[in-house]
Amino acid sequence: MDDRAAVSWIHRRAGFGLALPDLEAATARGPAAEIETMLSPASVSAAVAADPWNDADLPLTKRDSAAAIKAVTTWLDQMTSTTTPLVDRMAWFWHGHFVSALDKVKEARLLVDQIRLFRSSGLGSFSSLLHAVTIDPAMLVYLDGAQSTGQHPNENFGREVLELFTLGLDTYTEDDVKAGAAALTGWRVLPDQATAQFVAKRHDDTARTYLGTTGVHDVDTVVGAIMAHKALAGSIAAAVAGAILGTTDGAVVTPLAQTFASSKFDITSLVRATLQAGVGGQSQPVVLAPVPWLTIAQRVTGASAPAKVRLTGLRTAGQVPMTPPNVAGWPTGAAWFGSSTVVARATLAAAVAAAAPAGNAARTAADGDDLVALATALGLPTPSFDAASSAALTAAKPGVERLALALCSPEFVIA
Amino acid sequence: MYSRRQFIQIGASAAVTAALAACASKGASSTPSHQTSAATPGTGGTSSTTGSTTPSTTPSTTQSTTGSTTASPSAGATTTVSSVLTPGPAGRTLVIVQLNGGNDALNTLIPSDGRYRDARPTLAIPETDLVALKGTTDWSLHPKLAPLAAYWEAGTATFLPGIGFNDPNHSHFVSLDRWWRADDLTSSTGWLGRSVGPDSTKPLYATALGSGAPLLRSDSFQPAVVIQPGTFTFPGHLGEKVLGRLASPVSADQLHALAQQSMTSTIAAVDAFGGLLKSSASGSGDVVSYREGGLDLINGLDLAARLVTGNVGARIVVVSVGGFDTHYNQLSVQGTLLDDLAKGIDGFMQKIAAAGATDKTLLVTTSEFGRRVAENASGGFDHGAGGMSMMLGGSVVGGIQSAVDLGNQLDGDVRPSLDPRTMYTACLDWLGLDPVAALGKRYDEVKLLKA
Repeated sequence: MDDRAAVSWIHRRAGFGLALPDLEAATARGPAAEIETMLSPASVSAAVAADPWNDADLPLTKRDSAAAIKAVTTWLDQMTSTTTPLVDRMAWFWHGHFVSALDKVKEARLLVDQIRLFRSSGLGSFSSLLHAVTIDPAMLVYLDGAQSTGQHPNENFGREVLELFTLGLDTYTEDDVKAGAAALTGWRVLPDQATAQFVAKRHDDTARTYLGTTGVHDVDTVVGAIMAHKALAGSIAAAVAGAILGTTDGAVVTPLAQTFASSKFDITSLVRATLQAGVGGQSQPVVLAPVPWLTIAQRVTGASAPAKVRLTGLRTAGQVPMTPPNVAGWPTGAAWFGSSTVVARATLAAAVAAAAPAGNAARTAADGDDLVALATALGLPTPSFDAASSAALTAAKPGVERLALALCSPEFVIA
Repeated sequence: MYSRRQFIQIGASAAVTAALAACASKGASSTPSHQTSAATPGTGGTSSTTGSTTPSTTPSTTQSTTGSTTASPSAGATTTVSSVLTPGPAGRTLVIVQLNGGNDALNTLIPSDGRYRDARPTLAIPETDLVALKGTTDWSLHPKLAPLAAYWEAGTATFLPGIGFNDPNHSHFVSLDRWWRADDLTSSTGWLGRSVGPDSTKPLYATALGSGAPLLRSDSFQPAVVIQPGTFTFPGHLGEKVLGRLASPVSADQLHALAQQSMTSTIAAVDAFGGLLKSSASGSGDVVSYREGGLDLINGLDLAARLVTGNVGARIVVVSVGGFDTHYNQLSVQGTLLDDLAKGIDGFMQKIAAAGATDKTLLVTTSEFGRRVAENASGGFDHGAGGMSMMLGGSVVGGIQSAVDLGNQLDGDVRPSLDPRTMYTACLDWLGLDPVAALGKRYDEVKLLKA
């Protein structure tokens, strides 16, 4: 792909899209430089310094509806306005990987703190991230670690950390699940405080064999045993490649896994290699999930649709941040062509197009009949529409209707 | 080799490949691959297949059910269609209520076996709270299920304790997948999706409410997915006519074509659905909900009743709700959910009866597994095995048609005693669809519908 297509691809898969002037500037810098800028420690520092949430909006009250709406809206706004797109896109990725959800956690502040963790540490050492997630208050509540005591450990986190978060099925035994659950006992979340606390008398410190490693008895040794397992690199590389490249083909994933392992599980190294592979042509189509799709739509049009419209639309679409359907996160791929999602996408597209300010390149292009100009302004890697979309866009009323329709087109929805 | 996580987390090309393979070769058997996923258009569900890495199962020869029936691997030789009812199945509707998370069966339909109370010193339902089932002393209902006792007495409710696949796995996702695909994890389609009849072109022929329903995955049609009924309508200023133009001519690119087809099928579903929504409840009001899932059971089953009685060609309705994964604080959480379930089913059955459709409607409940026999220290139960399904409607045989033996547990779980495909066979017979095509053979060793 040429530089413009590569930069567009990078930002649609690993960022949240770019408005035309930003896309042109990034194209001038070139994809290699763009990847390094997006991955740089300075980007992570900038993201952490620009934390978008205000704790005062997030009282530690269970089921506080205003706090939930504020937490989610603030995050959506952050994704839309981000100047550190890869950091924020990776936070979104980890949210779908190390899943926690409001229905169980009940305090929006705890979810926000977990997203903060993903923003600060989502491009660092996987070992550190796994350690932090394991004793993260929202996770302790969501997967019942906070209720798990040495007397009778709760297996919920102990099972999902292996099945979904790290190694994958068929790499561990039921005895491993039980041993891990025992070693992770003793943690609780202090009432009315967003902090976890270790209580020795609630902990079973018996040394056990776990994943073939002896002497496992606490968080450090559980994380150590998982990190030492040969399935880890491939599993995490497949997750990242699946999200960014749209493929988990062994020929693509294996070299990424090798890079990841030889970097001592540095996530930045893995993401860099993944993006380079994509720019090198190893990418397959991805159906944009509702949240990235909406965010890209808002960024390329410069629009900010009303928060309530966005939340209602995302709910109909089946993807409200912080409320994933289960511990495996959201469905992916063609699932986002379900009828409810199609309807919601139209509703959201109409709202976004109506909110696009005059002077925005896409909004301006939608007033005219030049569909290449419209596709270019929307940041499509291949700036054109196929026969059906072209005919439909030509037949649509110029302006808001045409722009909204373009946001619903397969060309825009499929990255 | 790689984490199953990829199957659900990414979809992308793997999902696309499977979906496209399905589109391209109707009826062709899909090739299992342990890197293949199949999020078929419109089903909106997570998907997974573990292909060769998943333990294979075969019909049990030791399955124990009530009465003298014993499962046999040769049961498939039986080719009678004794459970097909007369008159013909035209106009019948099957409603499946999926309780995601693994409902604790033993605190839903409660055994009188003393080992139940021994294993649950703090979480057994107190004997004084139990709802008796007339005619049996072996089982009782959770107090919140009291509204269902009337259906039991009328013979329009059947309970199937111990239902589940052999060689269970404690994973939510493997267990769900086995239920969805009727244990054929090499298939890219769900057990109902692969069985659809000739009238499946009707827009609401198969409708998933609350979330997608992978059991409806099909090579040949797209089920409607309605997550929030109140907002299932196109915006005024981007109407169906404008959007519909995106759908043709159909692109040679298959994923693009899939997106186009979804536009066509969605427009049809919205049109057909519109009339049902007048005065419909539309879920809780908060735009960000602390409640799991898109719809609760009461609203979901209210909508299901509208679909059944609305004369819109609905043959299959799936209502999915979450929240049943009660590792912690089960008494409160499950009590609320079972209250919703009983009220939802009772309301549904009353509306069906008022429309004279009781004999044309079959409602069944499913959940991926039951929970451990013994409680954990968090006031809950970890993942178990055998569960419990309910079947309600004018055609069910009534009673309890399977068994649980707490003296013969499977590593602390209820040992599965009834293959879910037995219930599937009855459901397919009921709809006039072919169980052999969907399941490979019939599983009709236990009669679940009236002759």
